[in-house]
Amino acid sequence: MSRFFATGSDSESEESSSADEITPKAPGTTFKQSLLLSDDEEDTKRVVRSAKDKRFEELTNLIKTIRNAMKIRDMAKCLEEFEQLCRAFLKSKNIVDKEGVPSFYIRLLADLEDYLNQLWEDKEGKKKMNKNNAKALSTLRQKIRKYNRDYETEIAAYKENPQESADEEEEKEPEDSGSSSDSDGDGGDEGVSSKSFLKKKPEAASEASKFLKSAKGSGDESSSSDDDDDDEDWGSDTVDSGSESSDEGEGRSASLAVVFLKKTQDSDKPSEKKLGKKKKPKKKERLEEEAEEEGGEEVEGGWEKVKGGVPLVKEKPKMFAKGTEINTAVVVKKLNEILQARGKKGTDRAAQIELLHALAAIAAENNLGQGILVKIKFNIIASLYDYNPNLAAFMKPDMWKKCLDCIDELLDILFDNNNHIFIGENIAEDSENLAISDQPFRVRGCVLTLVERMDEEFTKIMQNTDPHSQEYVDNLKDEGRVCGIVDRLLAYMENKGSTEEICRIYLRRIMHTYYKFDYKAHRRSLGLQGESKSEQDQEESEGEDSAVIMDRLCKFIYAKDRTDRIRTCAILCHIYHHALHSRWYQARDLMLMSHLQDNIQHADPPVQILYNRTMVQLGICAFRQGMIKDAHNALLDIQSSGRAKELLGQGLLMRNMQERNAEQEKIEKRRQVPFHMHINLELLECVYLVSAMLLEIPYMAAHEFDARRRMISKQFHHQLRVGERQPLLGPPESMREHVVAASKAMKMGDWRTCHSFIINEKMNSKVWDLFPETQRVREMLVRKIQEESLRTYLFTYSSVYDSISMETLSEMFELEIPTVHSIISKMIINEELMASLDQPTQTVVMHRTEPTSLQNMALQLAEKLGSLVENNERVFDLKQGVYGGYFNRDQKGGYQQKQSYQRGTLNQKGGYQQKQGGYQRGGYRNQNQSNY
Amino acid sequence: MQPLYLTLRLSSIVIIKHYQEEGQGSEVVQGVLLGLVVDDRLEITNCFPFPQHTEDDADFDEVQYQMEMMRSLRHVNIDHLHVGWYQSTYYGSFVSRALLDSQFSYQHAIEESVVLIYDPIKTAQGSLSLKAYRLTPKLMEICKEKDFTPEGLKKANIGFEHMFEEVPIVIKNSHLISVLMWELEDKSTVADKHELLNLSSSNHLEKSLQLLMDRVDDMSQDIVKYNTYSRNLSKQQQQKHQYLQRRQQENAQRQSRGEPPLPEEDITKMFKPPQPPPRMDTLLIAGQINNYCQNVKEFTSQNLGKLFMAEALQGHN
Repeated sequence: MSRFFATGSDSESEESSSADEITPKAPGTTFKQSLLLSDDEEDTKRVVRSAKDKRFEELTNLIKTIRNAMKIRDMAKCLEEFEQLCRAFLKSKNIVDKEGVPSFYIRLLADLEDYLNQLWEDKEGKKKMNKNNAKALSTLRQKIRKYNRDYETEIAAYKENPQESADEEEEKEPEDSGSSSDSDGDGGDEGVSSKSFLKKKPEAASEASKFLKSAKGSGDESSSSDDDDDDEDWGSDTVDSGSESSDEGEGRSASLAVVFLKKTQDSDKPSEKKLGKKKKPKKKERLEEEAEEEGGEEVEGGWEKVKGGVPLVKEKPKMFAKGTEINTAVVVKKLNEILQARGKKGTDRAAQIELLHALAAIAAENNLGQGILVKIKFNIIASLYDYNPNLAAFMKPDMWKKCLDCIDELLDILFDNNNHIFIGENIAEDSENLAISDQPFRVRGCVLTLVERMDEEFTKIMQNTDPHSQEYVDNLKDEGRVCGIVDRLLAYMENKGSTEEICRIYLRRIMHTYYKFDYKAHRRSLGLQGESKSEQDQEESEGEDSAVIMDRLCKFIYAKDRTDRIRTCAILCHIYHHALHSRWYQARDLMLMSHLQDNIQHADPPVQILYNRTMVQLGICAFRQGMIKDAHNALLDIQSSGRAKELLGQGLLMRNMQERNAEQEKIEKRRQVPFHMHINLELLECVYLVSAMLLEIPYMAAHEFDARRRMISKQFHHQLRVGERQPLLGPPESMREHVVAASKAMKMGDWRTCHSFIINEKMNSKVWDLFPETQRVREMLVRKIQEESLRTYLFTYSSVYDSISMETLSEMFELEIPTVHSIISKMIINEELMASLDQPTQTVVMHRTEPTSLQNMALQLAEKLGSLVENNERVFDLKQGVYGGYFNRDQKGGYQQKQSYQRGTLNQKGGYQQKQGGYQRGGYRNQNQSNY
Repeated sequence: MQPLYLTLRLSSIVIIKHYQEEGQGSEVVQGVLLGLVVDDRLEITNCFPFPQHTEDDADFDEVQYQMEMMRSLRHVNIDHLHVGWYQSTYYGSFVSRALLDSQFSYQHAIEESVVLIYDPIKTAQGSLSLKAYRLTPKLMEICKEKDFTPEGLKKANIGFEHMFEEVPIVIKNSHLISVLMWELEDKSTVADKHELLNLSSSNHLEKSLQLLMDRVDDMSQDIVKYNTYSRNLSKQQQQKHQYLQRRQQENAQRQSRGEPPLPEEDITKMFKPPQPPPRMDTLLIAGQINNYCQNVKEFTSQNLGKLFMAEALQGHN
């Protein structure tokens, strides 16, 4: 046997060897074997074969040494070599799996075992052996026993035909005996195979007859090809057997092998190949796609290729034998055949899609009814999705287009036959009704899932396209189609679907709506006041307001949805949409009512990202409405982490690169929000910083000496510090620098400078112009800056004034006197400003009760000392706890007394403060009274 | 050991040198005191500063410099015996680990050495602030053993009050200097002379308070540290106790069953006592706080006096 492999990669030897293997094997395993065999026959690549040869050569060499060692009874050597052999065999497992266990290997195993047993029995011989050898013998014997258990059947089969091995043995002696022994070996092999075939002959015969029948069905061409063209013959044969066997199971495979064998034995493989290759260019008609298919086939294993082979023979109806009556059953069968290959390794997915398309065309051509068409369409779309095995990869544009077309067509069919087609995932495969009959069609499948998947694919495409390229714009244009499909499906579902399905499709619709600003509605709302309606406006305003749509869809989901996730998403989208359109109160109320803030951390990351987006949008909305505090609070979480980009799913942070591995990165990448849905990060930061400035600067001024001053916004302080660290302060460039410069101006109460820093050309183009109602926002901002500057001014400089006229203040800050009055009144009421208002003269009279900085320090020191004493006492407590109890009891009272004493002082302090407050307020009132 | 009486023969020179160094920067300046012991007095007659460190000459050899300096001084026949060192300070913030360490090494090597603390700010306000300190024998003991654990300090029974002892100073000027001083006093303006009567207080007080507060914060931290330590310690003690009890019970049971008792394991290994926090820093901080308080007290009492005086004057007018 080894000789075959030694001589090189002769296809014939390959054949015969595999034939050898097949015979003893159980038919079940041979099925696959023969399959692969056909593969090999057709176009096994040289490389593969040589790899196999290499392995086998290695094995045979090892076997040779073992046999030699056996001859000289060198057990130690035998054992060593055997172990090596086992390893080598393991290494060549791949090939063995494909080819079956090589018979020479089995032969060696059997012989070795026999030999060892023999030695074992031979007590005298054993005694003669040296210790080393004896030991090796026993080990080897045990080993081989154990090892051979795995190959029992093969060995048994081998033992049945020891003559084969005898042949082999003979061959083995003249190591390279040349062609005579070659033929000898062949003969032997053939004999074996034929012998084993004999057993199955009857079955094979019946199969053969079947082949004949079908072959006849396929017309004269196949018969003619039988005569002259081996390639074709083989092709058609295998095709038929392929389809048959796939239907009828494995039992037939052995006979299949016969078919192959018969042919291969009398035909020369290489020439066959050449023939096949020559043939191809001849057949011009099928050339285009078939060539492509052929290419695919070459890669793929299994039956599909063979199926593809059919059209090689016949030109027109590619799927079916000519003359076959094409009816629903046949088509379904064919469809199943095609689908069986789905997901298998090596299946050419492109070819499969082609096939399905062809099948659909056939079905349409033969008027098999919409049912089958729908079914095929389902499968086409599914295979389109399958085209990319990698979850991260996105669809190629042509695939995507195809997919969209297909879904459109599918929906067309569904709409056209609204009442005649039932589709659903719950319809069992066997209860489908695809044939044309009075009953409506019943098709298994779920359009909704397909559309959802399509939507996801769309997102994936958008994620993977460079957002600054024209390509992105082109891709984005498809969004319209996607929306259209979603809309159509929505209409369809509203009639047919269950509530759950409706919820799902509604959510899809919402997801496509919530982030878009409804300019039409916006213009209309403006137009109602401005009343100049052009035709264009009217045209545009025909569609429903997105707000109305959102409202309808979301409310349906709130009412009907049972899965928490869809509802959560819907709420978030709804809030986002409200916020986007400046409906602050609705948005806020919805957010508060939904209690999402409490349990959002339990949601999955995409929902959390949506939540973050919503919060940010809410914050920006609040800012536009002038609710600075709300805006700040809403944005605080996102901005304070410094990872806004990541939290909003708008990009990965570089600094985390080391922390996460490639897998995580992929997952995170998949969560990214497509670029067209991004929230402008600079806008977000600017809004946050400006709100922080408006809150923080007056606060800082008010609590200048407060030791426990907490920071409202850490990030803002960080920016300030960065600004301070600058060695040279030039005019501000970036948005942050503008805000920092403005903050500095505001600290001095200089609102004009502050204003000029916040609102100028640069900032307009960077930030403020991005708002839909730019002018209004800017006006609001100016107003806020004036007010807060006034407050800051009063805080900072109140100690300098004895009294200050409100008129002056109103001039300074360009605010109306009532506004100034109200601001100051508020400050006085909140005890932020120790002053009183003198009505007749319109002045603010300062009380100067603010502690000086020294007093402040003293207070701070007192506080610190208090905590120090507390800590110290704790140490003392511990000492007492450790050292004995009785000490404790006595002192406890004292200690408690002391505590109560402390509390007393505390109360006193409080009382003092109260008194102070009372005094002030009293003073204010008093003064008022005295004034009147 | 008897307290040493100090006589500063050349105080003016010392002070002038300080001033000179002050001009160079606001950092703490240090220098070497030279003099000799006469009877029970330590007479300091001269000094020279340590050069200010700059980044450029990192390989500057201080010891070499000192030796050179002293040798040169000997050549010109000036007292060259090393008797201590001096340091400037602000607002009395000199009690630190660095001071302790260097004074310890001085005192360890030269028994009679002192550290002279000079406060330029206070002096500028009109009252010469020059103080000499030595470590107490007790503290020397502790520093020698380097045992700063709570137990060690407790055993030594040392409080912040007993860390440093102040050595009384007597300043003696040479006649030439005295003459110069008289002349200077004649020339100086009234405002210069009555700097002492400056009523403004807040600035100095604020500074002191600020420093005091920082120390108090440190103290708090140290106490918290100590607190956790003692809590851990007691917890461990408890565990150890429980473990021992269990072991005892088990052994008793085993004995009753006639089995050999369990082998003794190294308990100290099983229960490693937590690292006790060094308490020396706390002591130093306490000393520093005390110092600040003294300063503030002194300052405020003086100031109050001044204020009352001013009020009385006003009333009188």
